[in-house]
Amino acid sequence: MRDHVLLHINGRPTTVAGDDAFLTLSDLLRKRQRLTGTKVVCAEGDCGSCAVLIGRPVPAGDCGPGGMRYAAVASCIQIAFQLDGAHVVTVEGLRDGRGLNPIQQSMAACHGAQCGFCTPGIVVSLYGLMHDGRPAGAAAVRRELAGNLCRCTGYEAIVKAAVTTDRAALKSLDALYPPGPLAADLTAAAAEEVRVAASNGRSVYKPTTAAAACRFRAEHSDCSVVAGATDLGVVYNKRTRPITVALSLNSVAEFRGVRRDGNALYVGSGATLSDLERAAAEHLPELGRFMAWFGSPLIKNAGTLGGNLVTGSPIGDTLPALTVLGAEIDVVGTAGTGRVPIGAFYAGYRKTVLRPDELVAGIRIPLPAAGEAVKLYKVSRRKDLDISTFGAAIWTRQTNGTLADVRIAYGGVGPMVLRMTRAEDALRGKAPTLARFEAAGELAAQDVTPITDVRGSEAYRRALARNILVKYWHETTGGGGGEDDHDGGGTGDGTGEGNGRGAVSNTDDATDSRRPVIAASVG
Amino acid sequence: MASIGKDIAHDSAATHVTGESVFLDDLAPLAGELVAGFVPSPLAHGRLRRLDLSAAAAVPGVVAILTSKDVPGHNHFGPAVKDEVLLVEDEAVFIGQPLAVIAAESASVLHAAVKAAVVEMDELPELFSIDEALAAGAFIGSPRHMARGNLAAGFAAADRTVEGTLDIGGQEHFYLESQVAIAVPGEQGQMVVHSSTQHPSEVQMMVAEVLGVPFNHIVCVCKRMGGGFGGKETQAAQPAMMAALLAARTGRPVRFVYTKDDDMRWTGKRHPFKAVYKAGFTMDGRLTAVDLKLYSNGGCSTDLSFAVLERAMLHSDNAYYLPAVKIEGRVCRTNLPSNTAFRGFGGPQGIAAIENVLAAVAADLGVDPLDVRQANCYGIADRNVTHYGQLIRNNVLPELFAALRAECDYDARRAAIAQFNERSATHLKGMALSAVKFGISFTRRTMNQANALVNVYQDGSVIVTTGATEMGQGVNTRIRQVVADELGVAYAAVLVAATATDKNNNTSPTAASAGTDLNGAAAADACRRIRERMAAVAAGMLARPDDGLAAEPARVRFEENRVYDERAPDRAVSFAAVCCQAYEQRVSLGERGFYATPGVDFNRETGRGSPFLYYTNGVACTEVTIDRFTGELAVTRVDLIMDVGKPLNPGIDRGQVVGGFVQGMGWATAEELVYGPKGQLLSNSPTTYKIPGVADVPTDLNVRFLDNPNNDVSLYRSKAVGEPPLVLGLSAWLAAKDAVRHADQAAARDLALPATGERLLIALAGARNGSRGGIEESVPA
Repeated sequence: MRDHVLLHINGRPTTVAGDDAFLTLSDLLRKRQRLTGTKVVCAEGDCGSCAVLIGRPVPAGDCGPGGMRYAAVASCIQIAFQLDGAHVVTVEGLRDGRGLNPIQQSMAACHGAQCGFCTPGIVVSLYGLMHDGRPAGAAAVRRELAGNLCRCTGYEAIVKAAVTTDRAALKSLDALYPPGPLAADLTAAAAEEVRVAASNGRSVYKPTTAAAACRFRAEHSDCSVVAGATDLGVVYNKRTRPITVALSLNSVAEFRGVRRDGNALYVGSGATLSDLERAAAEHLPELGRFMAWFGSPLIKNAGTLGGNLVTGSPIGDTLPALTVLGAEIDVVGTAGTGRVPIGAFYAGYRKTVLRPDELVAGIRIPLPAAGEAVKLYKVSRRKDLDISTFGAAIWTRQTNGTLADVRIAYGGVGPMVLRMTRAEDALRGKAPTLARFEAAGELAAQDVTPITDVRGSEAYRRALARNILVKYWHETTGGGGGEDDHDGGGTGDGTGEGNGRGAVSNTDDATDSRRPVIAASVG
Repeated sequence: MASIGKDIAHDSAATHVTGESVFLDDLAPLAGELVAGFVPSPLAHGRLRRLDLSAAAAVPGVVAILTSKDVPGHNHFGPAVKDEVLLVEDEAVFIGQPLAVIAAESASVLHAAVKAAVVEMDELPELFSIDEALAAGAFIGSPRHMARGNLAAGFAAADRTVEGTLDIGGQEHFYLESQVAIAVPGEQGQMVVHSSTQHPSEVQMMVAEVLGVPFNHIVCVCKRMGGGFGGKETQAAQPAMMAALLAARTGRPVRFVYTKDDDMRWTGKRHPFKAVYKAGFTMDGRLTAVDLKLYSNGGCSTDLSFAVLERAMLHSDNAYYLPAVKIEGRVCRTNLPSNTAFRGFGGPQGIAAIENVLAAVAADLGVDPLDVRQANCYGIADRNVTHYGQLIRNNVLPELFAALRAECDYDARRAAIAQFNERSATHLKGMALSAVKFGISFTRRTMNQANALVNVYQDGSVIVTTGATEMGQGVNTRIRQVVADELGVAYAAVLVAATATDKNNNTSPTAASAGTDLNGAAAADACRRIRERMAAVAAGMLARPDDGLAAEPARVRFEENRVYDERAPDRAVSFAAVCCQAYEQRVSLGERGFYATPGVDFNRETGRGSPFLYYTNGVACTEVTIDRFTGELAVTRVDLIMDVGKPLNPGIDRGQVVGGFVQGMGWATAEELVYGPKGQLLSNSPTTYKIPGVADVPTDLNVRFLDNPNNDVSLYRSKAVGEPPLVLGLSAWLAAKDAVRHADQAAARDLALPATGERLLIALAGARNGSRGGIEESVPA
């Protein structure tokens, strides 16, 4: 049992003990390491100024020879103890010798920086995108920078800088930090249990097995369970929720990974949302498409599906999808394991049925079979990196032109994600006509119980509850439609014609109004 | 010109991209440094009944707690009218107004101390909106007026009239670096205050006044800001004053850093406006009379509200000739943090009002709004005098309208959009081409002055300082370019040092887009005089009496580190050699330059004059797509032509244009300030207040400059560029109105800014036929 946190920062082994283990990573970097290139603006993961790259060792054989895998995260909502066994690379660690690296050169030459406050975070995010040779055209750059706000440039110069970067001259992180010894060192650290004590009775425990985690949780019923901390880190910073005893799940290997499990996708509770997005792109494209606009890479690289579930916010973006797909939740406790259907997982606003000794181990997401389709919606003030005003998931099974079965789940219109059962009943077994979807929409609008808050009024949400079913009909049955893709990826725009701006990429695209099109089957 | 007009990278680019650029809170704490905070008023309007700070003072690590009684100098302050108190004496007038300031050993101590303060207040009647203030008759100051022509005759000559009311929302600056100051006490009551401010002189004066010391005791230093946008013109002073109070009391350095949430809650924003209009016009769309009332939400005190209102009134013509017009302006008093400068400074609000009128005229006549705009555009030979009496010289507006209309394929796209809207069941498109004519100069004549200090060293390197502050806009880069060319040295030989009030005194804020115009001209003045003296020295060095080449200073040229006599250009000495020789000969290599903008004046009482040296102009055509079922809006294409004269630095100017446009687009379509019933700002962080992200900027973004070498009144025929492009963001709102107009004529009229998804869905409700989306009742958030 180690009594301090072990991590590497810009290639240098670093230990963090006592109260410092409870600093945010950004404070650890800025105040203890004097690495002030990392900026803090919002302290809630919503601006990207604090972006750093986090590398963790990946085991050999899983998906390659092993080594380090890096992803950019918001350091302001990472707590230092979470970084045990990780390599943190800050903007200071991305220099090419004494000179500027190619991204930095391009950012300077293209006027990608004005006031300079967002700039280090943008350089870090771009480095994370480009360092390993992945394609990074304008669309990929725009997607990668979804979580990096800039108030000066209007982004044009930043995107230009990214796409004109001399990729050939850009060193990979493995070239800057040889992965061999690093991975060995960090793998060993990750395999160790850690317990760090701090002042005022604070402590953190990092187990390496699910059983140990459950035992600890049983003994500390009020402990803060920390996975990605993308939610907890925010309330921690805003001092609305202190952390006294923390259980850090970062090194529980059993909770990791996403795999195909028969006709389902099995997502470990500790798998990041980025892991899920990648897997969904392959196995459940509608969810993959949806997740592209769900949070920013900086959040998705840290946040976990388990965290999204257990936090239980009624506007959690995955919850309507998991609800209509009939996801099941694997729970592990001191007494063994169990499986709970998602419909039975919540007891109320942000309350789950988990017992004090239980943790979510994984989520089994059934994939739509032939004839089945799912479509997901999110309405928010800003298209990306915004909390939903309203979210919806609609799942159908069609046979012979009728809706043999329908499931509709809404988020943001009640204390929990709600199934619209009366609307489902009105559609089930019927042919999908506009009139029926309008009627179903009216029922849904009656059944929701939205509130007025900063994201939208009660009336707006009620209108969305109705309209989304009519929109769905137009997009699936009524001859085309779909979300406008900001990147010009091009989808139907409701005219029944492609807009000719780019390749059709979405499964829900319909290019011929004469042919009724149901959202293409996925899976 | 060796560097003027060149696309030179921002002078901090290399350290911005590495993270080495030092912002205030990046400075390592000084020994003994304390952190500052305050006990905020929990009420928007309340009388202080009890303020018990004993428990707060008892928190270990609290070093000082001060209330208004402890202020050694003046507790009352304000940039124009001293109608604000720094620390509440009796009555708090906005949520978050400081009741007591605290210096503590650490942030957690500070937090505990603030929590331990006991505050009891009696609630007083509160006002938040313009409507509430109008109903209560709550105003700041008296009404302002501007008028021209005979309004009654103008209406009599009209074929038709439109009237209505437009609500224009405010805007959070969202500079990424929140307000911050570090006060370092010195000897004998002197103090150095590091501030992230656009106006170091004002911070200096306000700190001196709150401490009750002469101005010369305070040095305010600003190396750079992480964005300003007007939000640090006056309101950087509060944290600086509080830090200074605590530093003076404790004798220790004090740092005050606002969190982003607190900054958003506690500081003022762009003024919301309400525009009440009636306009008369002929059947060919020409305005004959405009009667306009502009009401701004000033918040709790004056701050810059009158100057903002004045600029709104001065821009209520925008690009259009108003033959008969009457404008009345009033500042409403409410219980919000005092609203303040924000890029555009009222100009955007005044322009929104007149653009809304022209859109209403077009809708009434059933014609294309662009035809109406062009019909009303200022003329070149006639119809070329503004409503306040300024002649528009070198008018490029008609040329800009015509050029963009052709370039962006406006008329063909107009037809395609109409077809699309007929066919699409799910989306609506809209497009608008609008203009900006933005007056350059402070409308207060006095402020149009600047000084610069240029010091040349014996190796030929140069340091320049001015009152200009760098907030990302590139003013330091431009000043370096000016100094380099004026002295004939390489750009790299010049450095711009931190702005500081002991080097440059009585400076104006870096504002009104005029930072380069004023300070660059002052620096050029200094350089010319240094060069004149150096020319005399160099003439002696270059003279060859034997060859018949007498020393003649007027023939000496300075170019790219070479100094030569134009009669013998092949034989040069280096700039550094001339510097050494000048030093040897006891010739001064330093100079203070000065500039006062010639000719500008404006009479605030009569509302007449020529307040502007020139106008910066532009046009933008923006296309949007709106989801009929959710109201969500996407900007899909922007074409923009900007007249910035001969750009000093095209790369930096382009950054200002695109960045300004996107900021304006955010204001016009997305950024919404949402308050709770007791005046608490609910949209108080980037989680709830959404500035444009990268995906909101269309990939189809076409920006170019107009080739205009005619601006003979400004530095190197350039034009100021900071604020004007922001106004063009209004084209996104006008495009949204255009889209809604396809569905419902009435709903498009007076569509409020910002055109959020919720507002658009409400507007589309009128067009709802069951299958086309919409919202049934409108319940504002």
